[in-house]
Amino acid sequence: MARTSSEWAKAPNLPESHYVDTRIYTDEDLFLEEQAKIFNKVWVIACHESEIPEPFDYRTFRHPGGENLIITRGEDRKVRAFYNICPHRGNTILYDPSGNTKRMTCIFHAWSFDTKGECVEIPRESEGYQDRFDKSDASLREVKCDVGFGGFVWVNIDDNCGTLKEYVGDALGLLEESLQPEMEVFHYHKAVVNTNYKLWHDTNSEFYHDYMHYFNRITGMMQPGYFDRKYTGYKNGHASVGSMAVKYDAYAGSEDRGVGWPGLAPGGWLLIDLFPGMTYNLRTSVLRVDTIMPLGPNKVIIEFRGLGLKSDTPAERAERIRDHNAIWGPFGRNLHEDLLGVHGQGLAMRDARTDSHYVLHGREENSTIHDEGGMRHFYAEWSRRMGRLASDPERSPKAEAA
Amino acid sequence: MSHRESIEELIYESGARLDERDFKGYLDLCEDGYEYTIEAYSPEIRKDMIWLHHDKAGMDLLFKNLPKHNSDHSTLMRHLTVYKVDVDEAAGEANVVSGLQVFRTELDGGTTELYAVGKQHDTIKLNGGTPKLGNRKIRLETRNLGIGHHVPF
Repeated sequence: MARTSSEWAKAPNLPESHYVDTRIYTDEDLFLEEQAKIFNKVWVIACHESEIPEPFDYRTFRHPGGENLIITRGEDRKVRAFYNICPHRGNTILYDPSGNTKRMTCIFHAWSFDTKGECVEIPRESEGYQDRFDKSDASLREVKCDVGFGGFVWVNIDDNCGTLKEYVGDALGLLEESLQPEMEVFHYHKAVVNTNYKLWHDTNSEFYHDYMHYFNRITGMMQPGYFDRKYTGYKNGHASVGSMAVKYDAYAGSEDRGVGWPGLAPGGWLLIDLFPGMTYNLRTSVLRVDTIMPLGPNKVIIEFRGLGLKSDTPAERAERIRDHNAIWGPFGRNLHEDLLGVHGQGLAMRDARTDSHYVLHGREENSTIHDEGGMRHFYAEWSRRMGRLASDPERSPKAEAA
Repeated sequence: MSHRESIEELIYESGARLDERDFKGYLDLCEDGYEYTIEAYSPEIRKDMIWLHHDKAGMDLLFKNLPKHNSDHSTLMRHLTVYKVDVDEAAGEANVVSGLQVFRTELDGGTTELYAVGKQHDTIKLNGGTPKLGNRKIRLETRNLGIGHHVPF
């Protein structure tokens, strides 16, 4: 029987770890709190080293905490990150998403900075400032930066953070061998979607939604090994999903994937979700890495990268691109379906007035593929960092434990 | 009818067939060796990218598989403007450059937005007065396609 208003508003008859209150997806104040307590405290991927291969190459990056950054490779080949803010009048220093420049010069008043963030030119410095202020007072704000786990460039806004290695821990262990070869990004696109960033990460964290994907049902769910894939949770809210042999040619028009990947069995598929919104998705011939830049509680930029091996022959690269586009490009069969799903969630719970109260994460199947433990693991970490229960954000997990 | 007129008609007809989701009608306008590509340049990674590439059989399968997938049902309307037609009589073909605008209309309420812009590069086989599409490359300027789309432009 359909539910009345009061029945609809009642919390699910499941443990509190098995559902979340949808205010965590819609509330503006909670979103701002997430930026401060989560995004500005954790390591996040800014770009891949192949996007800045030469000295003086740079990329600009909108950090999910809200900060605009510059990632640049110095003459010494070291990759560094800085706020993309001129300390003079607060102007954006670099506008283009990428480029190569020895000196980063603000267009406003021509203050100029080197790739170590030091101010190297203030026009008419002594005439204006005499000896009251000089270039050494005007260097850029540097942000913690490290390169690793497949050549990705990671940043952390928190000067007192632990190391990247400590943050990732063992979570990428299943991909250890696969991330050793030098890689190259061959695909990049952004999608702006009216949904909460966590809903995208949720989609990457559960496979029960394979019912939405005809491609995955026929090449995966109906094949041996699918229901044996296991979730493993790691420290800091990360989770992995074990592999299977995908039967790509079960889909009409899709060929079996001939090009593989070091450290991955033929037809293999490993997926690793890193808190709070990064996913390594290695599907036989292509590594896809998703990153998110939330713009508000119900708007997110999702960045999609497709990677191959730097050693690829032209034929191998062409095959990886073909494999990628079949399901993952902007015209791919699966990506559109996934984005349609989270777009629909964004529509249904766009703000508190839509009267959506709870989202269930209650499936328990011994941590196998349709178990929703990956999401539960994520929200346990979210609750810890926020000091709020995801199932009731007005309550604290510590108070509950006491 | 001049070459230019028949070529322009073919280009516009191909857009109209796709707008109407008359995929068979669209493929009937194509040579057997037809190839279709969507490309874009990414300033982020400073690389040309291929986003979709199929031969005629691949396009046919893509269309036939559509009902098996969950897709956004917004309609697309392609607005094409033929900029340039270079006819090579000796080769029996013409190279055509067109401006492409794709408008997307939501089913619920009918709001229309400009969804994508780019250029369309066609090689047309003249076939003695019955031109057919030999090769199409769409070069997109727009790279944020939101939730994407299952139907090619």
